[in-house]
Amino acid sequence: MLAILQQSQGTLNTALEQVSTGLSVNQPSDNPTAAASMVENTIETGDVDEYTQNVSTSLATVKQASSVLTSLVSSLTSAQDAGIEGANGTSSAATMKIIANQVQGILDAVISDANSTVGGAYLFGGTSTATPYTADATSPTGYTYNGNNQTSTVAVGDQTSVAVNLPGSQVFSNSSDNVIASLSSLVTALNSGDSSAVQTAVTAVGTAISFVGQQQVFYSNAESQLSSQETFLQQDTVTLTTQESNLIGVNESTAATDLSQAETDNNAALAAVAKVLPNSLLNYLSTPS
Amino acid sequence: MGGLNTALLIGVSGLDVAQGALDATSNNIANVNTPGYTREEAQVSELAENDSNGQVTGGGVSLDGLQSIRDELLNMQINQQTSLQNAADSESSSLQQIQSYFSSTGADLASAFSAFSSSLVELSGNATSASAQAGVLAAGQSLASAFNSTANGLTGVQTQADQQIPDTISQINTLSSQIAQLNGQLAQVPASENGGTTQDQLDQDVQQLAGLTNIQVTQTNHGETITTGSGTPLVIGDKSYSLSSSTGPGGLQQVEDANGNNITSSISGGTLGGSLNIANQVIPGFLTQLNSLASQFATAFNSAQAAGTDSTGNAGAAFFTGTSNLSDAAANISVGLTSPSQLAVNSSLSSTGNNIANLSAALTTALPSGQTAAGAYASIVFNVGTAASNANTQSSAIGDNLTQLNTLQGSVSAVSIDEETANLMRYQTAYEAASRIVSTVQVLDNAALNMGSSTSF
Repeated sequence: MLAILQQSQGTLNTALEQVSTGLSVNQPSDNPTAAASMVENTIETGDVDEYTQNVSTSLATVKQASSVLTSLVSSLTSAQDAGIEGANGTSSAATMKIIANQVQGILDAVISDANSTVGGAYLFGGTSTATPYTADATSPTGYTYNGNNQTSTVAVGDQTSVAVNLPGSQVFSNSSDNVIASLSSLVTALNSGDSSAVQTAVTAVGTAISFVGQQQVFYSNAESQLSSQETFLQQDTVTLTTQESNLIGVNESTAATDLSQAETDNNAALAAVAKVLPNSLLNYLSTPS
Repeated sequence: MGGLNTALLIGVSGLDVAQGALDATSNNIANVNTPGYTREEAQVSELAENDSNGQVTGGGVSLDGLQSIRDELLNMQINQQTSLQNAADSESSSLQQIQSYFSSTGADLASAFSAFSSSLVELSGNATSASAQAGVLAAGQSLASAFNSTANGLTGVQTQADQQIPDTISQINTLSSQIAQLNGQLAQVPASENGGTTQDQLDQDVQQLAGLTNIQVTQTNHGETITTGSGTPLVIGDKSYSLSSSTGPGGLQQVEDANGNNITSSISGGTLGGSLNIANQVIPGFLTQLNSLASQFATAFNSAQAAGTDSTGNAGAAFFTGTSNLSDAAANISVGLTSPSQLAVNSSLSSTGNNIANLSAALTTALPSGQTAAGAYASIVFNVGTAASNANTQSSAIGDNLTQLNTLQGSVSAVSIDEETANLMRYQTAYEAASRIVSTVQVLDNAALNMGSSTSF
């Protein structure tokens, strides 16, 4: 009888544990296979959370960089317009100097764009933490690149990483399509009042505009890659959560039913034992007279 | 020729027998809750007939003794199952403790691996961030201490099991000498009593002994001979032989017989068998798996670290240390770096970006064992869970079996109040009837003595 009570109490405890923790596997022995699978699930879930975090940070970086490039194109276009105005042959040297100042202002704005940061990190410094462009009188363009040539790649999935930036040496001071050099030579040409040199410089700025346009493709590709990865990670999170609940979760209604069943069984067992225990033949005999 | 005296003697023999049967019943009722008590029955036989000059009369009844009702075969089965049950119980309770170190508590190795992996992913999003680097170092320290506490937890359970072994052996020795003593006393008990209460005590001791280790019981002329599973004698007649324990090679406990021979491998059942299995087989097995995981993972991560350079441009120093000795790698693993800036985030080949993918790869690529770190740890969790679940299942299966055997034994040997109450009434009636014979004979005697006397009527 005690064995029956113990068994029924054990079932009740298990049901209670499942309802109170919401888990069907509270220790490895409850289901060794599920417990082992949960090890991978736990690690994967943690990683996916971080990947999602990385994706949203990278998206911000890429969008920021993309908008910087858009503003760079418009800066370059206004420099080009100004250059064309200066090269039309009717401008006086004084007018050309005024235009040169104007283009110098655009160049300053471009340098400030090139030094823009997101979350404290430089967008166009490669993987370096140094300010990408600083003024340098010894440089032909007047500026030196202090960053490195590396591209930052961010892990956004197991085996998946996305390059999220282009170094300044690629975008702004590329040896073949040097944006900064094109602007600075335009300034020099305008200052010197040499309209044919201005003409050449304006052409170079035009080439720079189309080059920057090509660089924008990199960022829009990265953006779409990150967006699709974001969707994938959301699905992955759902899959992992579903897997977790399949492995170790309890169906609440089943657990609640089990608990009430176990309670009823336990009560019945207790009542039965209480009824059986005190009865013996002695109960039905009259006391000897 | 039979006379009134014969009738009187027959009546008195009936009184004696009823008296003896009442003694048995009252002893049974008194011992209804005594552990190991075997119910007694009065053994009654009729006395030889009187043949007097061709006239045959019954000779009355005699009480041969009070016999204990027991089933030796059943006792043997119970002993055997008790051995198995205690071994499974002792293993199950140790494994219950062990598996608590592998349950998902937030401080377990799975959570630590997860946090470490996440910290590396976070670092890959921002390789130069000092806080992300510090996060990796902190997560590495948590991982090392999760290894330490899991290994120490296992060793702790092993030490507990080790400590139980000498205690169990001293209990075995005490019981052996008690049984030897009872064997000596049993020789004095008349065979008709089937051992009586001495046998009850002996059975009780033997069952306790069976709970401690696997034994074989042989009935001989000199009482019960008891040996361990391999035939090492514990009790022969009224002599007992002590076991002893010592620490053998590799710090493992071993059991020796009275002559100093190592009999560890032959002990499988009972608390002793359970403790030996846990301390010498189960825990060393888990520790080996854990140590090889700690050592292989540390080696893989350290070589990824060595492939890069740290924030100050130096070659990556070993991230994990303390794993050079495989036998205590998990207990000794610690983080060797003192500053987050020592993390080899940069690739030593300047054109290939950073080194973080290499560091993460230590977690995601297969170790020399053929499994990833997570996979290897999952295998350990699976093994621990399976062992614990098997021990539980075995314990409850044997428990059911034992309950059944005990019920069977109860129906043979235990005292039933109902039966004893019925017997009480039966023997009461028999006693009353026998005493009626005596009083009737007395009346008849008086009548015979007063024959011819006018005053008597």
